[in-house]
Amino acid sequence: MIIQVPVKNRTLDRDSRGTILVDRPSRVQTQVPDSSPEKAGSPAVVLEVRDLQKSFRSGFLKRRIRGVEGVSFSVNQSSVFALIGHNGAGKTTTINCILDLVHADGGEVSIMGMDHRDPSSRSRVGYLPERPYFFEHLTGRELLKFYARLLDLPKDRRVARIDEVLDMVGMTEFAGRRLKKFSKGMLQRIGLAQAILGDPDILILDEPMSGLDPIGRREIRQLLMDLKNAGKTIILSSHIVPDVEMIADTVGVLKEGCLVAVRDLTELTQGFSYTGDLHLGATDPTWLPAGCRSLGEGKVRVQIDSVGDLRKLLNDCHREAIPVESLETHRSCLEELFMEINREIPVKREVGR
Amino acid sequence: MTSNIMTLAGSTFLETVRDRIFYLVALFGFIMLASTAILSPLTVGAQGKIMADVGLASMVIFGLLVVVFVGSSMVRKELDKGTIVTILSKPVGRREYLIGKFLGLNLTLISMLAVMGLLFLLMLFLAPGSFSLRFLGAFYLTFLELTLINAVVVFFSTSVSPVLAAVFTLGVFTVGHLSQSIRDFGQLQDGVFQRQMSELVYYLTPNLEVFNLRGAVVHGTAVSGEHLVMATVYSLAWSILLLVVAGSIFSRKELRGE
Repeated sequence: MIIQVPVKNRTLDRDSRGTILVDRPSRVQTQVPDSSPEKAGSPAVVLEVRDLQKSFRSGFLKRRIRGVEGVSFSVNQSSVFALIGHNGAGKTTTINCILDLVHADGGEVSIMGMDHRDPSSRSRVGYLPERPYFFEHLTGRELLKFYARLLDLPKDRRVARIDEVLDMVGMTEFAGRRLKKFSKGMLQRIGLAQAILGDPDILILDEPMSGLDPIGRREIRQLLMDLKNAGKTIILSSHIVPDVEMIADTVGVLKEGCLVAVRDLTELTQGFSYTGDLHLGATDPTWLPAGCRSLGEGKVRVQIDSVGDLRKLLNDCHREAIPVESLETHRSCLEELFMEINREIPVKREVGR
Repeated sequence: MTSNIMTLAGSTFLETVRDRIFYLVALFGFIMLASTAILSPLTVGAQGKIMADVGLASMVIFGLLVVVFVGSSMVRKELDKGTIVTILSKPVGRREYLIGKFLGLNLTLISMLAVMGLLFLLMLFLAPGSFSLRFLGAFYLTFLELTLINAVVVFFSTSVSPVLAAVFTLGVFTVGHLSQSIRDFGQLQDGVFQRQMSELVYYLTPNLEVFNLRGAVVHGTAVSGEHLVMATVYSLAWSILLLVVAGSIFSRKELRGE
C-alpha cells in the first residue's frame, strides 16, 4: 500500500512501514504521461524511457553490478528535466542508454516517437558528454565544421551558424585555436557549441556546468534558460543541486541505479521559502530587484518563496542588464529532498552473478 | 550515409596527416628510397634493378608500418578518449563510422604511395635506362595489398588492444605471404592433420603473394590487365568481408562503461 506522508513542506512516497519506496521505485513513483497525440491540450512527449535496465560485469569474479534498473520517465516538449544523484548513481548510464552508446539490457526508449537504436532518431538531438573530448588536431572552428557536415547543415548556412553558436557560448575569440590548447572550461563550451549547432529540439547535457568557473556557470545557465525559452527540450544530469533548481521544471532523483523520485519542481517548492545572498556582477547597481536588501559590494539578500520567484528574480536582473554571478542559498528544498532520499533509501548495488 | 562516410574519411585523413608519426615514417620511407641511389653504384651492371627492387620493397614496408601503427590505435584512441561519443550521438551509424575510418586511412595510404611513387620514378628517370611505366602496375598492386591490410587492422582494432591488433596484423601479413608455401609444405606431409591444418591456414588468410609481382616487374615483365582486375576483385572481396564482420562486432560494442 502506498501512502503519502508529509515531510516538512512536501511529501515523499512511503510504504505502510514508513520506508520511502525502494523496490522498483521508478515503476511505482514515476508518472509516465500518456504520450498519445489525441489527448487534447497535453504537451507532446519527446522522450520516453520505460523500464530501462542496464548492468555491468565488474571485478575478477565478473559480478554483475547494477547500472540502472527499471528507470522510467518521460519528458514533455519545451521542458527541462534534470537527473540528479550522487556520483555513480546511474545518471550517465541512463543518458548513454538513451543515446544507444551503451546497449540497454532491457526496456524501451523512444526519441520523438522513434526507437533510440535508429541513428536517425538522433537527428534532432544535441548531446554534450560528461567529459567532452574532441579531436585535438582541429581548431574550434574546424571541429564545428566537421559536426556541421555530419549534421548535414546546408553549406550556405554553415559559416553563419558556426559563428552564431561560437558567439552563444562565448568562444568566438578562441575559435582559431587548436583544441589541444583548450582548458577544461573551454572544452565544455565548445562541447555545448557542437550540441546546439544543429538547432536540435532536444538537448541532452551530461553535467553541463562541470569544469566551469562561477562566471562560466552563470553564462551557461543563462544560455540554457534562453534555449528553454526558445522552446527547446533539455535533459540534463547534474549533482550541483542549486543549478538544477534554477533551470529545471522536473527532477528525477537517481540512487544506486534506481529512479527513486520524480518531482515537479514548482509543486515541490510551493510554500517553501528560504533566504539567499545574490552576488551581482556590478558593485554599485543602479537598480535592485523588488524586495531585496543591499549588503554592499554588489551583494543583496533576497527572500525566495518559490522557484517561480527565483526565476522572476533572475529574469529581472537579466532584463536590467545586471549580471548575476552566483546565488548562495541556505539549504534549498530540492537539496533537502535529495538529502532525505539519500539518507532513507538503502539500495543494494550488486545484483548477483 | 555517403556524406557521413566521406566526412569521417576526410577527418581521419586530416588527423593522420597532422600526426607526427605519419611524418616520421614518411621521412624514413624517403630516406630508404634515397639510400637506393647511394647503394646502387656499388652493384656493377644492375644499378637500375637494385634501385627498383629496394624502392618497391621500401614502399611496401613503410606503407605497412603506417597502416598498422596508425590503424591499430585509430578506433581505440577515440574509444578511450571519448571523441567517438559525440560523433555517434549524431545521426551516424556505427558501420558508417568504421567505413569512414577505413577510407580515411586509405586516403592517407594513397597520398603516401603517390608521393613515394613519384620520388621512385624520378630516381629511375635519373638513372639511365631504368625508367619504365610498368612500375605503375607494381604500385597499384602494392596499394591493393595495403588496402587489404588496412581492412585487417580495422577488423582487429574493433576487438583487441592496439598492441595486439598491430601484432595480429603483422602476423597476417607474414602468413599471407607464406600461405601458398605453407599449403605446399602441408601437402608433402604424411599426416592428415598436418595437411588439413595447412589447408585451413591457406583459406583463412589472404594470399598476399597475389599482389607480389615486384620481382617480375623489376626484371622487365609488365603486370597483365587480367591480373590487375583479379587482384582488385580479390582485395575488395577480402576487405568487404572483413569490414562487414568488423561492423557487426563494433555494433555490439559498449562505447562507454559505467
